[in-house]
Amino acid sequence: MEPGENNILSLQDVAIGYWDRQHKTVFEHINLSASEGELIALVGKNGVGKSTLLRTIARLQPELQGTILYRDKELSSYSRPLFARLLSFVSTEIVNIPNLSVFDFVALGRSPYTNGFGRLEKRDKQATLRAISQVGMGHMVHNNLTEISDGERQRIMVARTLAQDTPFIILDEPTAFLDLPNRYEIIHLLHELAREQNKTILFSTHDLSIALQEADKIWLLNKDQLHEGAPEDLILNNSFEQVFRSKLLTFDRRRGDFFMPKTLSSSVTLKNPNSLDDYWLRKALSRVGVAIDTDNSRVTSGLTIELLQHEPIQCKLKLPNEQEIEIRSFYQLNRLIRQFIDS
Amino acid sequence: MRVKATLILTTQQRTILWILLIVGLVVAFLADLLIGSSLIPLKEVLRILAGQEPENDVWQAIVLQFRLPKALTAVAVGMALAVSGLQMQTVFRNPLAGPYVLGISAGASLGVAILVMGVSSFLSFQTLMNLGNWLIVGAAWLGSALILVLILAVSLRVRDIMTLLILGIMFGSGASAIVSILQYFSSETLLKAFIVWTMGSLGGVSMQQLGILLPVVGVGLLMSLLSVKLLNVFMVGENYARSMGMNIRTTRILLFTSTSLLAGTVTAFCGPIGFIGIVIPHIGRMLFRTANHMVLLPGSMLLGAILLLISDIISQLPGTDSTLPINSITALIGIPIIIWLIIKNRRLNLMNS
Repeated sequence: MEPGENNILSLQDVAIGYWDRQHKTVFEHINLSASEGELIALVGKNGVGKSTLLRTIARLQPELQGTILYRDKELSSYSRPLFARLLSFVSTEIVNIPNLSVFDFVALGRSPYTNGFGRLEKRDKQATLRAISQVGMGHMVHNNLTEISDGERQRIMVARTLAQDTPFIILDEPTAFLDLPNRYEIIHLLHELAREQNKTILFSTHDLSIALQEADKIWLLNKDQLHEGAPEDLILNNSFEQVFRSKLLTFDRRRGDFFMPKTLSSSVTLKNPNSLDDYWLRKALSRVGVAIDTDNSRVTSGLTIELLQHEPIQCKLKLPNEQEIEIRSFYQLNRLIRQFIDS
Repeated sequence: MRVKATLILTTQQRTILWILLIVGLVVAFLADLLIGSSLIPLKEVLRILAGQEPENDVWQAIVLQFRLPKALTAVAVGMALAVSGLQMQTVFRNPLAGPYVLGISAGASLGVAILVMGVSSFLSFQTLMNLGNWLIVGAAWLGSALILVLILAVSLRVRDIMTLLILGIMFGSGASAIVSILQYFSSETLLKAFIVWTMGSLGGVSMQQLGILLPVVGVGLLMSLLSVKLLNVFMVGENYARSMGMNIRTTRILLFTSTSLLAGTVTAFCGPIGFIGIVIPHIGRMLFRTANHMVLLPGSMLLGAILLLISDIISQLPGTDSTLPINSITALIGIPIIIWLIIKNRRLNLMNS
């Protein structure tokens, strides 16, 4: 741990796993830390132990070894009712109980504060309503959980943790099952909560590009090693590439995302090249294994393209026999090129 | 666009529903006192209940010695089964769970079977009958307590709630298997005595026994009412319950104990009565349109009492001298309700899809 750092959570040489007949260690020698007000993304391949790590920090299962400190005190030194006021947890389970209203569900987050009957006092009702409006769901307080969309339900899951009013929030794969815009929205919401309410939020995800854009810190879990740092740190020291590299994938350091490189076995000549505007043409042609050649270094297909207009595309495809075909879509272009190359 | 919330009841609608249910309970209770092999006028019943002299001494005896204990039993049993069914559906997050999933009734049956068919091969059956049905009650109670102890012992070791459900069913099946062996080797008379017990009966409970039944059921219901918060949190899953500061072990022990106390006691006095425990919580959810146990639990108590009173009235075959087994009536009322609910909602509106 670096001196002077205001850590809310730190893991020191922690081993996680399961106590079975022979206890199975999933990951060991974990040293990680989290500061107040940080949004932290936990990434790593399937089965590497992301959920186990989150569940261990949330005290849903015991650590096998090492020390986990929450505000400089060991997790086990907090009583469970007290700990419920310090850390809240959202699991991957979809809560979709038909007769449960949004209000009643979010109000469950007040459990650590209510009396033995769970009676909601005025402050509990206010906290519940505030939590629901903070995630932008104020208009659906009286709807049932079955009546709302998956994206809205995930917001409600976040609202429950806000009602629980904990400085630390853990979410296990909050973007699973969501479509792309909803994924961005939910992570953006977490980002704002970390900023505006100084909450420390730790979430696991498979959405690398979103995590890289929004997270303050990445915890990257690989088979036997572990990286911690700002997204940019991990990109530039090649950690990402090491973890996720495969036969098909190449990491684009500039864009911070993975892509699948294509083998280009043939080429066409572009009559009027203009590197700025050719982006989408290059992409489309690469999918059928064709490059744009300006210096004739590759096996040429003998085809020539003359671009007339970029958006929407309009061009002329000239065959070796001088026959010219007018083209009005990338789809049409790729179909013709494939037919020509295959024959 | 503002989505219209159609499924939630307003406070006013909910108040009306409570009033209707309480009125319904009073009406069903009185009707159960009026109706039977002979019809006693309401005015007379009220006079008897108020302790005044009725026109007809026979009526007084019928009401005070037979129908009143039976109606009180129906109320207690209906409430107990509805509440224990609701608790098991919530704890196991399964819409078809009921009071007996833990194997309680199988345990009770085992106790009674051992008594009726096992022990009575040594003593004479007549001796047993002379001791009254206290013995049967005691045997049933011991049997269900045995199962409870097994379940609690296992629940402290097993983390996964579904494993517990399966173990409960296994314990129940094991007990039933032993019962079958006893049945196979017992005489026709004893077999019939046992079969009659399994058909359930509200009428066998004396005023004296009510002195035990009512307080015990009362304690069980009180335990349930104290668990409302636990049930609400348990409903969304044990992980959430734990992360909101609940102690899972204590909660399980509390809920299993109150369920066994309720279901075990009821089975001991009245035999295994089916379907009330499964059906009532669903009717409660449908009427109150909520999953909040603060509403659902008292609502299920009222509904359970009403439905069992109605079943009892029907089982009397009003105007005749014969009585049908209460178990058949609750099944015949319960099954169409479940089928209707499934068809109407395409699935039982309860837990995760």
